[in-house]
Amino acid sequence: MSSGKCAAGIAAVLMLSGLALAADTIHKDLHFKVGKHPTVSINNPYGPVVVKAGAAHEVAVIALLHSDKVELDQSKSHNRVDITSHLLAGADEKSGFVEYEVLVPADTDLTLQSETGRIHAEKLQGDLTVAGNNGPIEVTDCTDGHVHVRTLNGTVTLSNVHGHIEIMSVGGDVVMRGVTGTLVAVNSNSGRIEYEGDFGEEGDYAFTSHTGNIDAVAPAYASIDVLARSTNGSVQSDFSLEPKHAPFIIRGANAISGTLGKAASSVNLFSFSGKIRLKKRQN
Amino acid sequence: MTDARRPQGNKLSEAEAIEKAKQGDPEAFEFLYNLHKRRVYSLCLRMTGNTASAEDLTQEAFLQLFRKIGTFRGESAFSTWLHRMAVNVVLMQLRKKGLPLVPIDETTEGDEEGVVRKEPGAPDERLTGSIDRLQLQRAVDELPPGYRTIFVLHDVEGYEHNEIADLVGCSIGNSKSQLHKARIKLRDLLRANRPERAGKR
Amino acid sequence: MNCLQFENALPEYLEGSRTAEQQAHLNACTSCSTLLADLDLISTQAASLRELEDPSPRVWNALEIQLRREGLIRRPETQATGGFFSRWRTAWLVPVAAALAIVAGVKLYQPARVGDIQPTAKVSPAPAKARPAVATPAIAPEDKDIMSTVASRPPAQVAAYRNDLDQANAFIRDAQEAVRNNPNDIYSQQLLINAYEQKQMLYRLALDETENNDEQ
Repeated sequence: MSSGKCAAGIAAVLMLSGLALAADTIHKDLHFKVGKHPTVSINNPYGPVVVKAGAAHEVAVIALLHSDKVELDQSKSHNRVDITSHLLAGADEKSGFVEYEVLVPADTDLTLQSETGRIHAEKLQGDLTVAGNNGPIEVTDCTDGHVHVRTLNGTVTLSNVHGHIEIMSVGGDVVMRGVTGTLVAVNSNSGRIEYEGDFGEEGDYAFTSHTGNIDAVAPAYASIDVLARSTNGSVQSDFSLEPKHAPFIIRGANAISGTLGKAASSVNLFSFSGKIRLKKRQN
Repeated sequence: MTDARRPQGNKLSEAEAIEKAKQGDPEAFEFLYNLHKRRVYSLCLRMTGNTASAEDLTQEAFLQLFRKIGTFRGESAFSTWLHRMAVNVVLMQLRKKGLPLVPIDETTEGDEEGVVRKEPGAPDERLTGSIDRLQLQRAVDELPPGYRTIFVLHDVEGYEHNEIADLVGCSIGNSKSQLHKARIKLRDLLRANRPERAGKR
Repeated sequence: MNCLQFENALPEYLEGSRTAEQQAHLNACTSCSTLLADLDLISTQAASLRELEDPSPRVWNALEIQLRREGLIRRPETQATGGFFSRWRTAWLVPVAAALAIVAGVKLYQPARVGDIQPTAKVSPAPAKARPAVATPAIAPEDKDIMSTVASRPPAQVAAYRNDLDQANAFIRDAQEAVRNNPNDIYSQQLLINAYEQKQMLYRLALDETENNDEQ
């Protein structure tokens, strides 16, 4: 629960913590009252967006606009808050630069967009949709929701995230640490896919790439049904898998298939020409 | 997903596996591989002295075996057939590398390799009752490749001199004399590597 | 008989041809009897080296791959695809089906044109970022529309977008080839779906941003 004072205090801390102050920066401080399970979207083409779980029923937005060539558009309707960095005529990456630090209720459904800025989402439990172009994307300690991430060339890092997860990347690397869920799907073109975790929760793990390498590190006790195949790249596994029928005949591809433990989760690692490595975690 | 039960490792199942492998059954291949991998790999490892080569050669040996499995009629034991193939693969590799398979008697190169040196006054201490396996392994790895080949084939793997002569392409007499020299050399190595112990049992 | 003579005759001795002379020497000479005992020990212990170690799992993995490649492993596709892939496929196919619809009057890449092969011409330089340069040249006909929507952006952005589009097209081409080579292969089909999805993402992205910019 929060009061105006508390929120202002938080805002002050946030301001001191990370936001850069330039000469003619314009500081905005917004608060919105919301109900349960609100929807919040933030679209900031140039500049970082950092969102963390805060008090219930309140959305607190701190924004630093780096020039007057960009405006903060806000709209609130019922249980929904939309914030957009509106670039005015002549605005470019520098003059259109805005920094956001936002606190939302943990159960918020969130949509975050930025072209060049860093997007950071932390400790959230609602659905999360992130669209970045070139900036890094970090999702940390988020559970229970649907997490959809899309990037062109920014690095995507998921730490301790659980739920239904879909990630798409062209050239950005996708790094997952302690990520599990009913579905964890990564579709990459040339970005590397790295997974370190136990492939738990009886989930479907599907990592595919065009040319990016796929590296998965799992513990010896992992319970997985593995199918790893690269049409033109190599496939290696540290594990001695129990054999099983692969449901297709492969011509000219490298593949490994088999099960470990009770084969609770399915792990599909597919690449066209990337190298695939399934490694055993060294404890 | 079908759960094919793994056959037990007895003769009858090996025959079944061979028949299934001829039909292209992947589990049959894996069964045969698991049955014989240790023997083949250990052979390759002893003869080459390094894991990477041994792994490659193991793979190659099984590959050749599986390529030809259609022609196996059961006239000899499958394991013998496989083993020979493995030996041939290793020897071929050694030949390619230009390593001497078995040194011929003429090349003594002026050193006293293989000749027992009698040092006056040196204590003639017997090797202990049983040689530590690790020690022996290490000593074998230290043998010059030609000696190593012959020793591994005869003493470790149990091939007869006439078989070795056949495989390696030397005379029986040569095989015998080289084996002797290999053993002498091993003895030297084992004695040299033995830790200094006074009053050994 | 002296020790040297004994040693020279040792190989035959070990084979079983023993003379009384040799026997007598042995009884008298500790050095030679020790030697004999040692050699005997070595040769009998040697068998303990016979089966010591297992190769790493890598060996079987590589072997299996090669066996499949050579068609020595030939298991007919008896496995119903349902149990194996269905969960995963369903999850991917639903958004893709929606995604391949025509959006905002701009033609998206259409699956009906699966058979199309992109014309290859000379290579155009990629933008100066550490990203894989893709050797496609001219803009593909169906991409002309989307490229014109981003044309008004800063040149660096346009070039970057172009590079991404090229990567997506390369992925589609490679996946198409995989499907052609293995028409019944679900894996290749899934790769193609993924490749389309990437292209669709790029289109959506360009359109979204155009929308935003238009509001200026």
